[in-house]
Amino acid sequence: MSVLPLDAADEVAPEPAAPTARRRGMPWFLRRPGGLLGAAWLVLIVVASFTAPLWRPYRVDDQDLAHRLALPSGAHLLGTDPLGRDLLSRVVTAGAEPLLASFVTVVVAFGIGLPLALIAAERGRRVERVLSRSTEVMLALPLVIILLAVIGVIGAQTYVVMAVLGVLISAAVYRIMLGVAQSVRQRLYIDAARVNGIGSLKVNLVHVLPSMATVAAVQAAQLFGIGLLINAGLAFLGFGPGEPQPSWGFMIQDASKHIYDDPWLLVPSGLALALTVVAANELADALAHRAAGERTVARRRPGRTPASPADGAPSASAVLEVRGLTVAVDGGPTLVSDVSFSLGAGRVLGLVGESGCGKTMTARSLLGLLPDGVSVSGGAILWRGRDLVGLSERELNAVRGQEIAMISQEPMVALDPMFSIAYQLTQPLRRFRGLSRTEARSTAVELLEQVGIVDPARVLKSFPHQLSGGMAQRVAIALALTGRPKLLIADEPTTALDVTVQAEILTLLRDLVREIDLSIVIVSHDLGVVADLCDDVAVMYAGEVVESGTAAAVLDEPAHPYTMALLRANPHVPEGAAVPVRLASIAGAVPPPGSWPSGCRFASRCRFARDECRKPFPALPAHGSGSVRCIRVDELQREQVTWDADAVGAELETGAGVPA
Amino acid sequence: MLAYIGRRLAIAIATVLAAVVISFLLVHATPGSPGAVVLGPSGTPAQIAAKNHELGWDRPLWIQFLDYLGHLVRGDLGVSLIDGRSIGADLAARLPVTASIAVLATLLSGVVGIVLGVTAAVRGGWLARIITVGSGIGLSLPAFWVGILFVLVLSLQLNLLPATGYIALSQDPLGWLGSILLPVLTLTVGGAAIIARTAAAGMREALGQEHIRTLRALGTPTWRIRYVHALRFTSVPVVSVLGIQFIGLFGGSVIIENLFALPGLGQASQAAVSAHDFPALIGVVIVATAVVVVTNLLLDLMVAALDPKVRTA
Repeated sequence: MSVLPLDAADEVAPEPAAPTARRRGMPWFLRRPGGLLGAAWLVLIVVASFTAPLWRPYRVDDQDLAHRLALPSGAHLLGTDPLGRDLLSRVVTAGAEPLLASFVTVVVAFGIGLPLALIAAERGRRVERVLSRSTEVMLALPLVIILLAVIGVIGAQTYVVMAVLGVLISAAVYRIMLGVAQSVRQRLYIDAARVNGIGSLKVNLVHVLPSMATVAAVQAAQLFGIGLLINAGLAFLGFGPGEPQPSWGFMIQDASKHIYDDPWLLVPSGLALALTVVAANELADALAHRAAGERTVARRRPGRTPASPADGAPSASAVLEVRGLTVAVDGGPTLVSDVSFSLGAGRVLGLVGESGCGKTMTARSLLGLLPDGVSVSGGAILWRGRDLVGLSERELNAVRGQEIAMISQEPMVALDPMFSIAYQLTQPLRRFRGLSRTEARSTAVELLEQVGIVDPARVLKSFPHQLSGGMAQRVAIALALTGRPKLLIADEPTTALDVTVQAEILTLLRDLVREIDLSIVIVSHDLGVVADLCDDVAVMYAGEVVESGTAAAVLDEPAHPYTMALLRANPHVPEGAAVPVRLASIAGAVPPPGSWPSGCRFASRCRFARDECRKPFPALPAHGSGSVRCIRVDELQREQVTWDADAVGAELETGAGVPA
Repeated sequence: MLAYIGRRLAIAIATVLAAVVISFLLVHATPGSPGAVVLGPSGTPAQIAAKNHELGWDRPLWIQFLDYLGHLVRGDLGVSLIDGRSIGADLAARLPVTASIAVLATLLSGVVGIVLGVTAAVRGGWLARIITVGSGIGLSLPAFWVGILFVLVLSLQLNLLPATGYIALSQDPLGWLGSILLPVLTLTVGGAAIIARTAAAGMREALGQEHIRTLRALGTPTWRIRYVHALRFTSVPVVSVLGIQFIGLFGGSVIIENLFALPGLGQASQAAVSAHDFPALIGVVIVATAVVVVTNLLLDLMVAALDPKVRTA
């Protein structure tokens, strides 16, 4: 009773999710059984209570003294109370006041809390701070006791008391709606609306409020339940409508005096109240779920098709050999298909391509760290001759950290915010290397020095939020080195960092390859990074490798039109080369998983595509040990085509005088 | 850290002050008067006016307020209009009853709720579904109704616990526990349900964090990822909700005390409300607010100990 379960907003995202296909034709919040039952019960109880005087079998004060404390019967469907009054008539009649009074609470709470939240979100820090501090004070007051004090002064005037509850609880509404309003306001279209000179009131009405509707509905339903409980609690104490008017709370009080001789008395009033509150909360949950977006992934893991035996024995020099790797959403589209590459000891392989090409999925599958609902559905990952696909979590754990380690894109969130760097480094050191506490600490200092941190003692004492991005990435690299791995998987390790810091991190990685014989698989969309660091390259497009080979060969003599286009779209200019007037672009976007054509997946964006490109064809050998997946590769090489910006420019701006 | 504690302390003091102002204004801004309460329906308007003058009720409001504050800082809450008892002494005797119920119920809610919530988040499947549905119902049930059901089953049917009465802790520790166990269990149903929801949501969020993937990439044992790293991440929202819970449980215990006939603050406030005993009303509000505020200060310190961002700020 007593509770403010207004915490669901944490789970609530204001962005509406795509509705599920089930039970079409119904409002979305009724598609969950809880929401449907809750709404149905609420409608039933509201209609029943407000129309009760028209149809109830007895008046609320009709006494049948011959049948006191009767169990349900034909004459009294729910039995009778200690004075022989009909329980059905009393229970339904009693509903009207709490339902209306709780509605008053909700209206008052939103009437105060919502406008204040909008004002605070609009007026900025100072107003927001004053309002937020005041609400903090209000939320710390013991609600029920203050309501009792109000009753002590003005008497048991239900609607006034429940309006006061609305005032007190508006602080909770304010806090939740403020959070939503602030996040809505940060969205660009609000700025756009303001720039276009739309007034503040209209911005709020047209843009901000609709985005808050779902969260507001969730809160309103929860508040309604709280209102019912508090209202009934007060009536239980005897501060409800006076006898003979019935109230659920006082009927329960009455029942508590008869648990010895008639426990049934507890059931009608108690269930009516409990079911109504449960219904309100179920409705709130259904609303919140829609806001959070329904994620029902069919959990069906298809069996993996093993790599074909024709692929032969692993090549002698490769430590990592990926063959025909296919990754798919369980029961859904394929994300990565038939990817093959190999990596020698002490070499660096770059996986490059636009966003959404499956680079990260490929990298994460190497450690068995795919997201829930995504799994390897075919192919092999041979690590020193042993297939990692299909290993149990336990077997993988023996590989993770000690043979293969990983660093990720966002160093600031890759470290545990709750623990010091010292704890995070010494804990795996003790596990991997069997060190004592003091040994682990001195090893941690050495590791931090190795990754170029000049003040290891201070960094050890720090927490992640006290580090800069570059510093955090160095710590993350040190963490990855705790198990002395042979292979490091680096997923866009520099993307989130400043340009100067990027260069430092790349230098560090290059040094590590040289010093401790580390192999690296680096995922990047930046060809500059690849040229800088990599020995080998695999260019990915729409879930497959379109071209691979040594970095020098692929970057100097790209064979696949996509690689050519990527290189031409890259703003890095090699030393001594002429600065292009404009960068080339690739029209269109990467086709999403599930809508890949059977032929060349790049054909729809390729300048050199012909009809023959629409048919399936295998990858061809290229660049010595590499491959290229283009059916016209020989033709294009003969013609010496290039993917230049001019071609597009000339078409678009005929005679506009673009210098060649 | 110091700034954080200073800010929390300022809010705590502001809250108590707000409680004083609200209850004081509430009592003074209405047509009723203490004279009318003391003399009852038989008092003539002249007698009532005389009594009000004697009690200082006809002085300017701000003088009365300062007068009250002056007494309050010396710990003097005045005397009851009904029987002339010292309100401070009366509430001090009742506080342990309500406080022990609220504190134990909060602690038990925390333990049960965290176990259930973490289980739901970690295990998934039908167990998670049962916990989710169960906590949804648990937080919706009226506590006083649940209390009656407990009395029916645990006291009357199984004869395990006494249904009513209070035994002081100093008098008989085991008897004390027995006498408050039913009210504590009653309040724990709703309390644990809320904590279970918070813990489950927090745990799910924690397990989806990027730093958990870092730990997995290092081959960290699953138990360590769950019960050291993810649980620690979840602890901050759980402790914050526990603070809100305590405020609620303290109010809830007022209603529960009525059911179990316990001589706590709830009984005092119910009596003061029924009798329109104005000084007693103000006293109850202030004492209850003070207890809630002190508890929340302690929980704030706990948050600071748990969350390095707060501790090092």
